[in-house]
Amino acid sequence: MGTNAAPLLTYRDGTLRLSGAAVSVTRTGRTHELACTQDYHNIEVPEALTVPGMNRRRPLIGETSLASYKKNGTLDHHGHGGHHDLGELWPEDHQYNGHHWGMAVDLTACTGCSACVVACQVENNVPVVGRDEVRRKRIMHWLRIDRYYCDNHGEVDVAHQPMMCHHCDHAPCETVCPVLATVHSEEGLNQQTYNRCVGTRYCANNCPYKVRRFNWFEYAREDTLANMMLNPDVTVRSRGVMEKCSFCVQRIEEVRVEAKREGRPIADGDVLPACQQSCPARAIVFGDMNDPESAVSKLIAGGRHYRLLEETNVRPSVGYLGLVRNRQDDEDRTHHG
Amino acid sequence: MAESRMSNANQRFLLGVFEREEDILAATNEARRRGLDIADVYTPYAVHGLDAAMGLRPSRLPWVCFALGLAGASFKVWFEFWTSAADWPINVGGKPWNSLPAFVPVTFEVMVLFAALSTVAAFLVGRGLLPGRRAKLAYPGVTDNQFALVIEETNATFDFDEVSAMLETFGVTHIEERVDQESL
Amino acid sequence: MASAPAAISGPLILGDKSPGQVTDDVCSALERGPARSWWIAIAISSSMLLLGLITVAYQVLTGIGTWGLNNTVGWAFDITNFVFWIGIGHAGTLISAVLFLFRQKWRTSVNRAAEAMTIFAVICAGIFPLIHMGRPWLAHWMAPYPNTRGPLWINFRSPLVWDFFAISTYFTISLMFWYVGLIPDMATMRDRLTGGWRKKAANFLSLGWNGSFRTWFHYETVYLLLAGLATPLVVSVHTIVSWDFATSVIPGWHTTILPPYFVAGAIFSGMSMVLTLMLIARKTMGLEDYLTKRHVGAMCKLLIATGGMVAIAYATEFVAAMYSNNDYEQFAFINRAKGPLCWSYWIMVSCNVLTPQILWFKWARSNMVVVFVVSILINIGMWFERFVIIVTSLHRDYLPSNWTGYAPTSIEIATLVGSFGLFLTLFLLFCRFVPVIAIAEVKGVLSHGRKSHE
Repeated sequence: MGTNAAPLLTYRDGTLRLSGAAVSVTRTGRTHELACTQDYHNIEVPEALTVPGMNRRRPLIGETSLASYKKNGTLDHHGHGGHHDLGELWPEDHQYNGHHWGMAVDLTACTGCSACVVACQVENNVPVVGRDEVRRKRIMHWLRIDRYYCDNHGEVDVAHQPMMCHHCDHAPCETVCPVLATVHSEEGLNQQTYNRCVGTRYCANNCPYKVRRFNWFEYAREDTLANMMLNPDVTVRSRGVMEKCSFCVQRIEEVRVEAKREGRPIADGDVLPACQQSCPARAIVFGDMNDPESAVSKLIAGGRHYRLLEETNVRPSVGYLGLVRNRQDDEDRTHHG
Repeated sequence: MAESRMSNANQRFLLGVFEREEDILAATNEARRRGLDIADVYTPYAVHGLDAAMGLRPSRLPWVCFALGLAGASFKVWFEFWTSAADWPINVGGKPWNSLPAFVPVTFEVMVLFAALSTVAAFLVGRGLLPGRRAKLAYPGVTDNQFALVIEETNATFDFDEVSAMLETFGVTHIEERVDQESL
Repeated sequence: MASAPAAISGPLILGDKSPGQVTDDVCSALERGPARSWWIAIAISSSMLLLGLITVAYQVLTGIGTWGLNNTVGWAFDITNFVFWIGIGHAGTLISAVLFLFRQKWRTSVNRAAEAMTIFAVICAGIFPLIHMGRPWLAHWMAPYPNTRGPLWINFRSPLVWDFFAISTYFTISLMFWYVGLIPDMATMRDRLTGGWRKKAANFLSLGWNGSFRTWFHYETVYLLLAGLATPLVVSVHTIVSWDFATSVIPGWHTTILPPYFVAGAIFSGMSMVLTLMLIARKTMGLEDYLTKRHVGAMCKLLIATGGMVAIAYATEFVAAMYSNNDYEQFAFINRAKGPLCWSYWIMVSCNVLTPQILWFKWARSNMVVVFVVSILINIGMWFERFVIIVTSLHRDYLPSNWTGYAPTSIEIATLVGSFGLFLTLFLLFCRFVPVIAIAEVKGVLSHGRKSHE
């Protein structure tokens, strides 16, 4: 990476050829740490770090086989087995009477192409931090795709899980912010107020999904030409403040103004976050969870819907539609993990 | 709080100086038993039992501490409720407007702060201890190793010689008569 | 009188001193010019402080990115140092307030220095939450003051706000407690000195104290009240510090045992720091008559007790995690003992649980070299305890996709060194300019001039 590959090209028979050059590989004895924004993760914790009776596999990906799904219409491999409403210790003072924005991500449809990641980065002026910062695990992406690999009887099972701010109704990040820099809107958005943030990073520590991003440095925007690309609707963040997915709040507001001008309510599908807009597989659906007819509400009501880390009772507004695997032998096999 | 007995400029005082804690204790006890009016005792450290010997009433500072501590706590719990639920209610992590359990830690801290600051302030002001104030020493060395007993000569029946003789039995090292408190 | 008879434990102060001798011993050390060793020590400590100042300035100007933190590990050295220093401070309050309430008279020799240690440790601790902010120049936003932003108040539900109030109250009360204790000694210094700036300062700070017993009487009441307030305060402060972690949703942080565990750990670490400083002070300042082996012995016994509490906390934490049948919780603790940062866990266990066991033996408690080494090891172990709690819990949380490592940068290490430099510099200045022994209190426990000796 970062090296001129032109000497490897050969010119034969009147065309530039990308292959066929004679090369030899020798061991240099040196190691090179790759700067990789998207690693490969094992969904199972290392065997050495388990105790008897503990599930090695983390219940993050809801799964089922096609045959089972056809029979039951639900997921069968999903650690905590559906929603447990345990009630609340405290009075529910916060009703969402207008819109209540939510999102559903279809893990079966997602191919992990990363179009949403790029679209989000462009839309929200997410800084490109460079190789050294990527190596230090300080990638600024508001939306990332977690890729989990798992051994399935000698074959590798893979799952792609787009991960953005879950806009939890019981957001653990909001409770811990000392200066009220991250609070909840009346429409269920977890809002980050950049100019109030003092940068304690407590919110990021307390986020079970780890989707909050901190501006470790004043990330350079010296290239005035590149700055022409910045989205004027989105604030450019300065050093020392936290940032994260906003559900493209600027687009919600734009649609709201437009709808008001036209004297109509916001229709389902009017608000398209950048990730949804760019997803070729239509795996991401955003909408109003208070409208029973909206696409997102119908997906939530369907049998494949689950919410990640539901047992922490953070009540995320983002949910996933579980992975349906179409394999011949799945019917014979019992799930393991 | 300060019983300003020593403000009358025309009063006469008897000053007896001792070098040992047990002597000053015994002398003070005896002076009180004889009904003498003990203006004050000056000691280099807090001699235990001397309060009983002088017949001092319990300090009222605990009441200051209690009242202001209670006031601080009440103010703070109101303030937290007002800012969180009334003045600008903001939805923070779905927590109720009145998150009383979460308001307890700060309330406790403010209670302690109010109680301690007010107690110390009441003590310093009450005893006239203020920055830069000139110290009036009853006798040189009362902040080092000398103990001084000051008896007010309240009326004509005060017999200087008799009291001096009494103090002599307790090993007094120095006896002196002073006219007013300014010279103390 | 809770003190054991003199025949068994020996007198509190050796050498049958009179009040005058105590004044001389303590004040003459201040009135003499500083010893050569003092100059060497302050040269070293102020160099460390300067290094810390430079690195903090660089970090504030450049960004938190100069530290080794990443998206997953948002706190490491900064909050470890914060909790470590706060814990150090707690022993001072324990000695000055809790032991006062329990009428432990041996505290009189050490309480002035221990309280000074508290104040300096809280100063060191307070720096870290300040500099760990992304924008420390906006730190005043933590305080609820009327403003033109609404007014926008603060989040009283946040443990960081609780921390802010707890630490600032703790600092204020400790400083006041210390100063109230100093007033009579300042008067003693004032009356000894014949002139110069020291006399002027002592004159100003002694507030016109004249030894009046009527004042002493109220003073004792104030002291008792402050001790009574400081005792629950010290418990509340480390409890609140532990709530930074206990109220979160992160496995390894989210446990109800943290408050008692932190309070016991704080006293444990603070006591070992008091011992370290005390052993240095008695040797270098010739205070062997005041800081006797009996004091060292009593402190060692406190170390065994609090070390035992900490060991029980470590065990309970593990058992509770295993019993929870929660995969995340179980993993968090197995990962501490066997994961990539397990070395820090085993440093913690060996320094904090195994090392103090040697103090069960009387020969070890009366060998100052052994006690000194033990106290240093416990200081190290307790620093690692906070590191283990903070970093190992964060670096392996719910989603394996977030798992990262952590390694400190030179900036973080230099900042830690700088905080020690600040602490030692303040302590050395204190030793030069303030009576290190509470003169008036020590006079109160002398056997001289008493009918019935202890």
